[in-house]
Amino acid sequence: MNWDNTTLFSDDNPADAAFRREVRQWVDKNCPENLRDRPSRVTPPEMKPWHKKLFERGWIAPHWPREAGGMGATLEQQLILFEEIARIGAPTPFPHGLNFFGPILIHAGTPEQKARHCPGILSGDVTWCQGYSEAGAGSDLASLKTRAVLEGDHFIVDGHKMWTTNGTHADWMFALVRTDAEAKPRHAGISLILIDLKSPGVTVKPIKTIRGDAEFAEEFFDNVRVPKENLIGPLNGGWKLATMLLGGERFATGHPRNAAILLNRARQVARVTGADADPAFRQQLAALEIDLLAFTAYYRHGAALHGLGKVPESMTPVMKLAAGPLAQLASEFLVQVAGPAGASLADMEVDGEAVNPAEDLFEMRRVTVGGGANEIQRNILAKRALDLPS
Amino acid sequence: MEPILNEQQSLMRETAVRLCKDYGGPKRARALRNAGTEMDVPAWMELVRSGWLCAAVSEDAGGMGMGILDVSLALEEAGKQLLMVPFAEVAAVAHVLGKIGARAENQLRAVQQGLQILMPALPQEGWGNVGSALPIARFEGGQWFLDGRIRHVPFAQSAQSYLVAARIGDEIMLCAVLRHLVKLDTVANVDGSTSSELVMDGSLVEESQVMVRGAQAQELLETLRDLLAITTGAALVGVSAAALEMTLEYIKYRQQFGKALGSFQALQHRVADCFVNLELNRSLVYRVAASYDAGQMHAAMAAAVKARTSRVALSLTRDALQLHGAIGYTDEHDIGLYYKRAIALAALYGNDINQTARFSALTL
Ligand SMILES: Cc1cc2nc3c(=O)[nH]c(=O)nc-3n(C[C@H](O)[C@H](O)[C@H](O)COP(=O)(O)OP(=O)(O)OC[C@H]3O[C@@H](n4cnc5c(N)ncnc54)[C@H](O)[C@@H]3O)c2cc1C
Repeated sequence: MNWDNTTLFSDDNPADAAFRREVRQWVDKNCPENLRDRPSRVTPPEMKPWHKKLFERGWIAPHWPREAGGMGATLEQQLILFEEIARIGAPTPFPHGLNFFGPILIHAGTPEQKARHCPGILSGDVTWCQGYSEAGAGSDLASLKTRAVLEGDHFIVDGHKMWTTNGTHADWMFALVRTDAEAKPRHAGISLILIDLKSPGVTVKPIKTIRGDAEFAEEFFDNVRVPKENLIGPLNGGWKLATMLLGGERFATGHPRNAAILLNRARQVARVTGADADPAFRQQLAALEIDLLAFTAYYRHGAALHGLGKVPESMTPVMKLAAGPLAQLASEFLVQVAGPAGASLADMEVDGEAVNPAEDLFEMRRVTVGGGANEIQRNILAKRALDLPS
Repeated sequence: MEPILNEQQSLMRETAVRLCKDYGGPKRARALRNAGTEMDVPAWMELVRSGWLCAAVSEDAGGMGMGILDVSLALEEAGKQLLMVPFAEVAAVAHVLGKIGARAENQLRAVQQGLQILMPALPQEGWGNVGSALPIARFEGGQWFLDGRIRHVPFAQSAQSYLVAARIGDEIMLCAVLRHLVKLDTVANVDGSTSSELVMDGSLVEESQVMVRGAQAQELLETLRDLLAITTGAALVGVSAAALEMTLEYIKYRQQFGKALGSFQALQHRVADCFVNLELNRSLVYRVAASYDAGQMHAAMAAAVKARTSRVALSLTRDALQLHGAIGYTDEHDIGLYYKRAIALAALYGNDINQTARFSALTL
């Protein structure tokens, strides 16, 4: 039996297996060549045609309910779509509208709000960004200071958001803002509003990342008028909506596929550099593959429990604490295996494919910082799952 | 995370929790160690009575018709309670005997009824990768004679016979060797368990004790190795879980600097990492055991189980000791029992290094 680290413990039922075959064929035929196995990050304009194709096929929002324009798919089907897209090295559509904001909008939006914003998210015509973090409010998000003061039928927004992925390309931002400066606890004074980034008073500046691209940006808000009907959910009720989102994303962001792809890339590179003849390489690769197998077992176990409605609260932090460092170790291993080429800005040519170990290394650094840093996840585990005192 | 079980499995698990609590625990493990008792006989008799030694034997062959997953669930409990019995070994052997069929029927029945403990005696060094030579079998006058040494066999003094893989030229055979026909050289391990060298100098094996030969023997030997890795791995998960639980209790209660130790973030993060490692291993054991039962297991998965459960049990119990401070360094405190059991079980049937190398060889 051959070892395939991308299908471990996958137990598709016959209907799912048929769906997987269908997705596999379609993705292979329809994903634009220039987006596959790209060492560099795909930008929103580059993503659009691919997003549109998935939209037209009806597969863009597997996790959304049907009445909102989604597939109402089971978790298994969602995972199949994710896995088959990843299998050929194609990018997953950006999550900000589809996965982060969309579910909140569907959950808490008014019929008018849904009618206005769902279509653009689904078609990909509107690019969304997430405006939560600020210079002074990172892990301690509830300390955020960007103000929104209600004057007549508008909020007047003043402040500064940072680290906003796709900020320079985005049309709209869903933002957490302070609507009650006196509230105690602090998170009781936070609301979720939608800001049209073309509004007067908004300045967007790109921030160069460690990869050298301009993935994220900062936004300055100076007397920006936001219509009152852009409030999502109740006034001062934004925190609950936002934290709901942080919990719902676990199966997409923590998929074991990230590490599997990197380890397979390391294998390919090792064949080219000759490192695969080195027993030390093989032992280290095996140790990482064993960790990947264990994580995959946990992941599949969790997915099965999800179907039964029995996922324990500890699963989100455990997934994050296991998936992130594993993918990082895999990317570090890849850099080691590449030898001196691991430090190069230039792509390596491996089996006719461009590989850039340093790009992978940098890309993986984000996963233990964004969306609740790993130290914060440990705090959560200690308090909630292990019942340790403050 | 909790395993996904049917009703029969849940029931068996509940019973296992109770049985292992009643016939185990650190106090009992300590008493056995102090007395130099190799095996806990009352606990063993209770296991025989439970039928679980043959849980993973088909009903046709006289077993319970459950699987390695069920055995693993019970072994997790046995590990938690530090039971001093060859449960992991005999359950694996019974499963293999059940697959052999008619030629192993008598042996299996004797195991099931508690008339004999049939211990697997396989060379441990390198766990099949390097350095472990099988004993040699020669056929003379209608009988077999074995020559060779097998080191590091646990529970060897308590066994009535050994399941031995012996070499006949290019071929191997699996046979039962009676205990009184081999010389034992036994030493104690750190946790009170024993490790024996079996010296076979023309040990007699009657033809009826040869259960299988050739390709099938080779295949079943591999299966036995895989199963020992999984069942021992399940016990290691139990040992780790109990050590973590004990440590959490300790740091919630112990005060320094006017606060509970458990309120210090450095310690919180350390136990959080232990928890993550343990949770992954639990799922790993369940999934791999279930894959075996479904006939879908890759042999490398069994190697992964033993490699990772060994690695984590050692690091987790070491952290547990550290968080106990000086009391953890005493013989009197129970946390040391878990640390030492982890060392003993991690060393058996391929440690982390051996099994990682095996995994590598199997996945190239
Ligand atoms: C690539 C990337 C994309 C991002 N995209 C977005 C986006 O689209 N929208 C958005 O709103 N934000 C985004 N972020 C920001 C992200 O959410 C924050 O970086 C994150 O919440 C951490 O905040 P911080 O960077 O201010 O770090 P800090 O909170 O300053 O933390 C610095 C370090 O201290 C640790 N630390 C902090 N508090 C504690 C504590 N109590 N105990 C122990 N350790 C602690 C952290 O774990 C971290 O290691 C992005 C970040 C990255 C890296």
